[in-house]
Amino acid sequence: MRLPTPVGSRVSESDDPFVVDIERFQGPLDLLLHLIRSQDIDIFDIPIAEITAQFIAAIEGVEQRLTLERAGEFLEMAATLVRIKAQMLLPRREDMLEEEDPRSELVRRLLEYELFREVAYVLSDAEAERALHRGKGHVEPRPPPDRMELPLELAMDELLEVALSLPAPPAKRPHRAPVQPITVDEKIELWFKALKQKARVPFKSFIRRWKTRVHAVMSFLACLELAKRGVVRLRQQRPFGTLWIYRGESDEDR
Amino acid sequence: MKATRIVEAVLFASETPLAPAEIARASSDLTPAQVEEAIGELCREYEREERAFQIYPLGDGYQILTRPECATYLETFDSITRTQRLTRAALETLAIIAYRQPVSRMEIEELRGVNVAGVLRNLQERGLIEVVDRAEGLGRPLLYGTTRRFLDHFGLRSLDDLPRPEDLQITLRTER
Repeated sequence: MRLPTPVGSRVSESDDPFVVDIERFQGPLDLLLHLIRSQDIDIFDIPIAEITAQFIAAIEGVEQRLTLERAGEFLEMAATLVRIKAQMLLPRREDMLEEEDPRSELVRRLLEYELFREVAYVLSDAEAERALHRGKGHVEPRPPPDRMELPLELAMDELLEVALSLPAPPAKRPHRAPVQPITVDEKIELWFKALKQKARVPFKSFIRRWKTRVHAVMSFLACLELAKRGVVRLRQQRPFGTLWIYRGESDEDR
Repeated sequence: MKATRIVEAVLFASETPLAPAEIARASSDLTPAQVEEAIGELCREYEREERAFQIYPLGDGYQILTRPECATYLETFDSITRTQRLTRAALETLAIIAYRQPVSRMEIEELRGVNVAGVLRNLQERGLIEVVDRAEGLGRPLLYGTTRRFLDHFGLRSLDDLPRPEDLQITLRTER
C-alpha cells in the first residue's frame, strides 16, 4: 500500500521548523514530532534543551489563539519538557546510570503516537478509495422539477393581470341569529279571536297555517298560558289524539 | 433457479453488505459455501462483460458497488453529507481504537495527548465506533470498539487488513 508523506504537505509554506501554524497540529505530540522530524533529529537522543526552547517559541501566545483547553494541552507538554530538561541537568552519580533516561517515557509516547498518526494516513487513503465506490441508493430518486423552483420570469403587470382575472373570494358575512318577531301575546290574541267565533277549536287548525316550528311552539305556549289563567280548557281524548281548545266557563274579560 | 441468479437478486436489492450466511437464507437449498462460489462466478461474469459495478467484500459481507472509474459521473449527484470526510483528529482516534480495542477514553487521550470527548461523540453518532464494554476498576470507564460500519467506511474486510506496525514507514525510527 502506498503511504503518503504527511510532513511535506503540512509545512509546505515554510522550511523553517520554528514557524508553525499551531492550529494545524493535532496536539503537543504532533508539534513535537514535527520539530524532531523536520530537523532530522535522532528520536532516541533528543537534544532536550534545544527542543524545549523551540517548542516554547512555537506555542508562544497559544492562550490567545486556541481555546483554553487546547492551549492547556500544549502548556502541559512545555512543562513536561522543562522538567525533563532539569532532570538531565542534575549531576549523574554512578548508580544513576542504571536508572532510566528521563527522556525515555517521552520517546515511548512519541513513537507510539507516531505509529497511530501513520495509521491515520493509511485510513485516510482507504477512505478516499472506498468513496470511489457507490452502492445502491447513492443517487436519490428526485421528483420532477417543481414549477415553484423555476426562476421567476413574470413581469409585475402580468402577475396583476392573472390576479385580477381570478374570481373574488366570497365575502364573509357575520352570522346573525334571526330575531323572532313572534310572541306568546300575539298568539293569545289569535286564540281569543278564534274562540269568539267557535266554542272549541282544534289545535291542529292553528299550526297548519304556519310552517315554521316557532309558530307552533308559540301557539302551544299561548294555549298553556290561557289554560293557566283559566280562560280556556284543554282536552285530549288519547295520547297523540286531537287537542281541543274549549272556551272557558269563567270568561271574565269578555 | 440457478444459485448465481438468486445471489445476484439478493445482492442487487440490498443497500448494505450482506454476509454469505444472510444471503443463503433466500433459499432453503442454498449453503453459505454455494453463495461464496456464486459470488466468485458473478464477479468473473461482471468483469467479462465490463459492467459498471462489481461485488466487493466489505467486513464479513458483500455488496454490489460501482467501479471506481464511474465515480466522476456520479459526483454530480453527491449531496454534501455524503462526501463528508473524516478529520485528522477523527482518523487518529479511530486508528487508536482499531488497534487497541476495547479501549477507554483516557487511554486514547494519553496516546494522542489531547482531549477526545467531542471526537468520540462524533464517531459514535456516525456509527463508526460503539461502546463494547466497561473496564474493571475505578469509575468503570466505557470501553470503545469499532463497528461493522467502520469496516465499510474504509473498504476493509476485517481489522487484519490494517497495516501491521512493522510495515509502516516511520522514518525516525532509527535504532541505535
